[in-house]
Amino acid sequence: MKKINDLNLPEHVKYTKDHEWAKFEEEVVTIGITDYAQDQLGEIVFVEMPEVVDTFSAQDEFGTVESVKAVSALYMPISGEVVAVNDNLEDAPELVNEDCYQGGWIIKIKPADSAEMDALMDKAAYLEMLKG
Amino acid sequence: MNTGTKTTPLHQWHLDAGAHMADFGGYDMPLWYATGVKNEHLAVLTSAGIFDTSHMACITVDGKDAFALLNYCVTRNLAPLAEGRCVYGAFLDEKGHCLDDALVYKFADTGFMVCVNAGMGESITAHLVAHANHKDVNIADLSGKIAKMDIQGVNAARILSSLIQSPEKVFDHMPYFSFKGHFDSGHPGAGAVKLNDGTPVLLSRSGYTGEFGFEIFLAPHAIVDLWQDVLTTGKDLGLTACGLGARDSLRAGACLPLSHQDIGHYKFINHPWDFSLPYTPDKTGFTKTFLGSDALVPEPGDMFVFPFAGNSLRKVAAGETTGAYDHNQEQIGHVLTCVTDMGITWHDGRIVSIASPNLSDNIKIKGIACGFVMVSRQLQPGTQLTLKEGKRTIDVSIVQDIRPDRTARKKLSYFI
Repeated sequence: MKKINDLNLPEHVKYTKDHEWAKFEEEVVTIGITDYAQDQLGEIVFVEMPEVVDTFSAQDEFGTVESVKAVSALYMPISGEVVAVNDNLEDAPELVNEDCYQGGWIIKIKPADSAEMDALMDKAAYLEMLKG
Repeated sequence: MNTGTKTTPLHQWHLDAGAHMADFGGYDMPLWYATGVKNEHLAVLTSAGIFDTSHMACITVDGKDAFALLNYCVTRNLAPLAEGRCVYGAFLDEKGHCLDDALVYKFADTGFMVCVNAGMGESITAHLVAHANHKDVNIADLSGKIAKMDIQGVNAARILSSLIQSPEKVFDHMPYFSFKGHFDSGHPGAGAVKLNDGTPVLLSRSGYTGEFGFEIFLAPHAIVDLWQDVLTTGKDLGLTACGLGARDSLRAGACLPLSHQDIGHYKFINHPWDFSLPYTPDKTGFTKTFLGSDALVPEPGDMFVFPFAGNSLRKVAAGETTGAYDHNQEQIGHVLTCVTDMGITWHDGRIVSIASPNLSDNIKIKGIACGFVMVSRQLQPGTQLTLKEGKRTIDVSIVQDIRPDRTARKKLSYFI
């Protein structure tokens, strides 16, 4: 189990209380789960993803990640329409463990309102939450 | 950590190894190590794994009436049990509900040991004492006084053989559910199995993975050294330390129950573990009367427990909020256990294991969700059910068994 200070928490992404991260870049928001979440879940063996063009509101469940032991729901950090899903996860769900912020991204969305990003936590606030 | 949380002598080792820890039965135990639960599960099927099981509790029952007391309190008929053998059974209450499951070890007609689950030493001891009135027995709860580790998998004997004195002699005539030696140097049986440094151990050919292997009971001060020695010796063979996650997925795949989850506060019948009850050969009655046996009669409203296998590795959470639905979408029960056995896959309509003999190279082992459902009616193998947890559903079938080609019962000579 990683110690909180050993977690990889990049500065350039935003965080949710449900341990997703979201990164706004060129009108698209990429979403995945945090280093804390992947460490807690253990080896991911399956990622259930939505279809492209599915639309969700913030905090809607958009998929699940499964480890050998647990099933965990994924929640939308902000509202939007799915424009891409990470097909690599079908054959290599372990990418979520190995590289949760790059190769292990889960979906990309076109945000309904990019201002919703402002309500998410930055690294300092997320770290504070983890420390309880 | 809560001040009330207990630890085993290997606790620091687990922390140093970066284990993901969690409370289990009042003990801070490893769920998995950096190797990951999938690799740990597969290591047991293809090589070997070691498990810290020092959180389990041992109770010794000695004296002239030890047999009478245990044969009344344990579901198995202990009359045919020979010295040096152990059996799996359960402790029931008057209602026929399961208090805990256990292995019962027979040292002599007047000397037994019971090994129960984490945190259960005190309550099972109290249960035995409560039923021991006027009997000539001495009951001692050894919780925390004995350490235990399990080495499970095809390479278990090979690895152990370089760590114990006279391995050929020890492994000779050592069938499934037999044991040799003792952890207490003062016990008459203690000389039978010794580690290379002379430490006496009780070596039991049992375990809870469904695979070949041993449980090793020894003094707490000696377990860290043995653990390290096993890891060093087994490294080149692919042995790995395994946490409770792998233990859970291995035991579920082997169709074995988890106490307080699959067995517990329901009448201890209509489940896949008939072998733990003393049925007559025609199954119309029991070969003995025991505590709870009067309650074990079928009645309307009884529930049934069945193993299931999913269509894929996808699973649902276990618990009463996850319903089991029949083909008419009528809810008939709920899920007791649901895990993924990552060592098996569907092939041509049957389940094969990564350890199945003559496995074709082109079969990719994908994993299958499996576990147990409790339902309100008798179901036949092959019955399709849908398990629903909120919006999430998976399709499963009732099966007679889950992971094929398990090794626990094979002759020991096959492995050395």
